[in-house]
Amino acid sequence: MNDVSALPSNHTDCQVVKVPHLVFLVLGMVSLSENLLVVVAVVRNKNLHSPMYMFICSLATFNTISSLSKTWETLMMEFSDVGQLDSRGDSVRRVDDIIDALLCMSFIGCICSFLAIAVDRYVTIFHALRYHNIMTTRRAAAALAGIWALCGVAGAVMVAFCDATVIKIFFIVLFLISLLLILFLYVHMFLLARSHARKIAALPGSAMPHRSLRGALTLTMLFGVFVVCWAPFFLHLLLLMVCVENPYCECYRSLFQLNLVLLMSHAVVDPAIYAFRSAELRNTFRKMLLCSDSPLCYKVKALFH
Amino acid sequence: MSEFNHSNVSGGNAPDPDYKWTYEYYDDDEPVSFEGLKAHRYSIVIGFWVGLAVFVIFMFFVLTLLTKTGAPHPEGAEPCKKRVRLTSCVEDFSPPADPDNRPCLHRPLLDSSVSRSLFHCYVNEEQAQEGSRPRAGARVLGAPRGGLVQGPGRGRSGSPEEGGMEVGVTSARQGAAMLGGNQTDHREAMSLSHFNIPNVVNSEHCSTLGADDLLLGEPPIIMEGECHWPHSAHHMMD
Repeated sequence: MNDVSALPSNHTDCQVVKVPHLVFLVLGMVSLSENLLVVVAVVRNKNLHSPMYMFICSLATFNTISSLSKTWETLMMEFSDVGQLDSRGDSVRRVDDIIDALLCMSFIGCICSFLAIAVDRYVTIFHALRYHNIMTTRRAAAALAGIWALCGVAGAVMVAFCDATVIKIFFIVLFLISLLLILFLYVHMFLLARSHARKIAALPGSAMPHRSLRGALTLTMLFGVFVVCWAPFFLHLLLLMVCVENPYCECYRSLFQLNLVLLMSHAVVDPAIYAFRSAELRNTFRKMLLCSDSPLCYKVKALFH
Repeated sequence: MSEFNHSNVSGGNAPDPDYKWTYEYYDDDEPVSFEGLKAHRYSIVIGFWVGLAVFVIFMFFVLTLLTKTGAPHPEGAEPCKKRVRLTSCVEDFSPPADPDNRPCLHRPLLDSSVSRSLFHCYVNEEQAQEGSRPRAGARVLGAPRGGLVQGPGRGRSGSPEEGGMEVGVTSARQGAAMLGGNQTDHREAMSLSHFNIPNVVNSEHCSTLGADDLLLGEPPIIMEGECHWPHSAHHMMD
């Protein structure tokens, strides 16, 4: 993604830290394979056609798109460095714009998907009796369609008017609002679970809920990974607008590629903390990868036995 | 600086002939001076990361403390229990109007005492009606685990896609164990008394009740009656 970074006049201070293209390529490949696996698993298994898995599938799709575009861009930059690609052509710039639009779209889509997953879990807990009336498949599909439309438009607009400060402000505000919302929703759910654990502990002969520590750990991990991976990038955007010529801000901005690596690694970690936690999804993976229910695999196995 | 790309700050109007496929760098009109810095030049970076680490650790400790502090209030469950006294074991847990019972709002969902009372209620109703199907019994048996009490066949989608709730509550299991009077079941049920953040709404039927099933190894709460609980049904029929 083309980004802006102030160039220090003195080359010995705060030089831009360059991350080798190989790192981006490896991250992109790993993230792509993981998220593609999740998408295929959700699509193929009929049991997973519920609103919750639809949101997880949407998150995985956005991650797939972002890793695809980032890998594509890294490849083109690699070719351009080697000299194979004429980076001055008009078509190349158009491709570059498309990549940027896809990246913006996937970033916003990821954030919206996190929000959708948090809202879905919230409704599951606090309106459990009416969950199936509130969160019907049709409503979930409509919500997803709205999210995708919003992200597509936002991505296109952002790239078309990328120099306007309004765009960066919008991005940052969106991030902050969703951060706060996600934090609120999860902490509320956590408090309910905690009060219930107390009630269980109040029963005669019940064991101490020492394993409730894991609830805190899970929530910290969910939220902590989100913040650690996304906040540096958004601080970069903020500093870009607020203090362009400050040397301290420049030194922060020189680490832009490291922040981008963090953002990419979030796409790698996402399936582990959202999708792979579900036993049904794991079983589907096992079936898919070990191909235990495909007629082709029976033939393959017959060959070896 | 000639090897770097020069880009128009105010928004490029004409295509730049020196466009290179790389990260764009703005060329400042006044070069930033690094002279006379009072603090370390990476102070923002260090400060940001230290702040982030402190925030995450602080959040973890706050959450951990929340789980440990506070004495359990068994008498607090009584108002909820009275509120959900049923005659037909069919109830709609609408939110209570008065703020005093607001803590009860979410308790009926997961309250073991409530589920036990519902359980008793259902058992009585089962005995009252001859010809009630064991499947229906299993269905409602599955329901109190999530606090969802619906009569057999009442307005439910009933499809495999609709999910149960993997909130690690084993309240009804405890209720069943207690009713059945099986000591090992009771102990086992009590040992499962922990909670978790619902990571998934479990939509599969209850064949996957392993310890690795959930986010934190909790058995799922199946709200839809797709699964049969033969041993629990036996407890119920005793």
